[in-house]
Amino acid sequence: MSDMSETAAKRASLWDFANPTRFLAIAGPVLPWLGSLTALVFAVALWLGFSAPEDYQQGSTVLIMFIHVPAAWLAMMCYSIMSVSALGTLVWRHPLADVSLRAAAPIGAAFTFLALVTGSLWGKPMWGTWWVWDARLTSVLVLFIIYMGLIALSKAIEEPSAAARALAIVTLVGFINIPIIKFSVDWWNTLHQPASVSKLGRPTMDPSFLYPLLLMALAYTLLFLVLHLMNMRNEILRRRVRSMRMMAARESEAG
Amino acid sequence: MFGQYSAFIIPSYLVTALVIAGLIVWSLVDYRLRLRELEELERRGIKRRAAAGKSDD
Repeated sequence: MSDMSETAAKRASLWDFANPTRFLAIAGPVLPWLGSLTALVFAVALWLGFSAPEDYQQGSTVLIMFIHVPAAWLAMMCYSIMSVSALGTLVWRHPLADVSLRAAAPIGAAFTFLALVTGSLWGKPMWGTWWVWDARLTSVLVLFIIYMGLIALSKAIEEPSAAARALAIVTLVGFINIPIIKFSVDWWNTLHQPASVSKLGRPTMDPSFLYPLLLMALAYTLLFLVLHLMNMRNEILRRRVRSMRMMAARESEAG
Repeated sequence: MFGQYSAFIIPSYLVTALVIAGLIVWSLVDYRLRLRELEELERRGIKRRAAAGKSDD
């Protein structure tokens, strides 16, 4: 009996956000605070990063790592969130799942673009080349192309529920690329170095680099949250406008 | 400023700042445009179905 009511309470909390009106009511007051916190964390992370010593191998180009690595992490995290959203559309039929997926795609594409460009700008002085077709670089390029494809697809289908299903299915198919990116540096002999932070045991990095990097990753994550909430709000309003226009058109036809 | 690697560090930070600023501005402009559309519809006396008790979107 108590088990059942507990489950019901959990359900209720999950579905609290199912109502777009309630989502707007929560996002509105939260966004200015979250935005300010993001700016603050960015400021501290930048200050820590620029006061870090030079790396004994990479010299001052370690500064590029502080923005390259979080961009790459976020590129993958964003796609994972989109995949969970896709499940939300297909399995649970959560009304905001498709809104979340659509809102995240351009942000993910932007972070992937940043990971590629800053990686290239680091690769030239350190590897001596802007680009190599190794497994890590190629799989991230594929991620960028998948993001572009999803954005194109999201605008291609007019009927909302058909569009949501198609987008969700293609997103889930593309998720196969995420473990490929993650483990590409272990499975293949890549020019790109293997993980040095997220590995079993201790990160193989000095705290003077690890702390600014982790703080910057936190700043990027907060930034993603802010942008995602803003874009979800925009998408909800876009749908509202659309349904109101359709209603108006139907009424003017009838009357 | 950052020694021999300035030519790679500065563009990295510049492109990152520009893309992030672009994302923020785009989201804010999009929000303004949607609000304006909703105001325009309301001025024409068009109400949402949700206002009549049923949730839409």
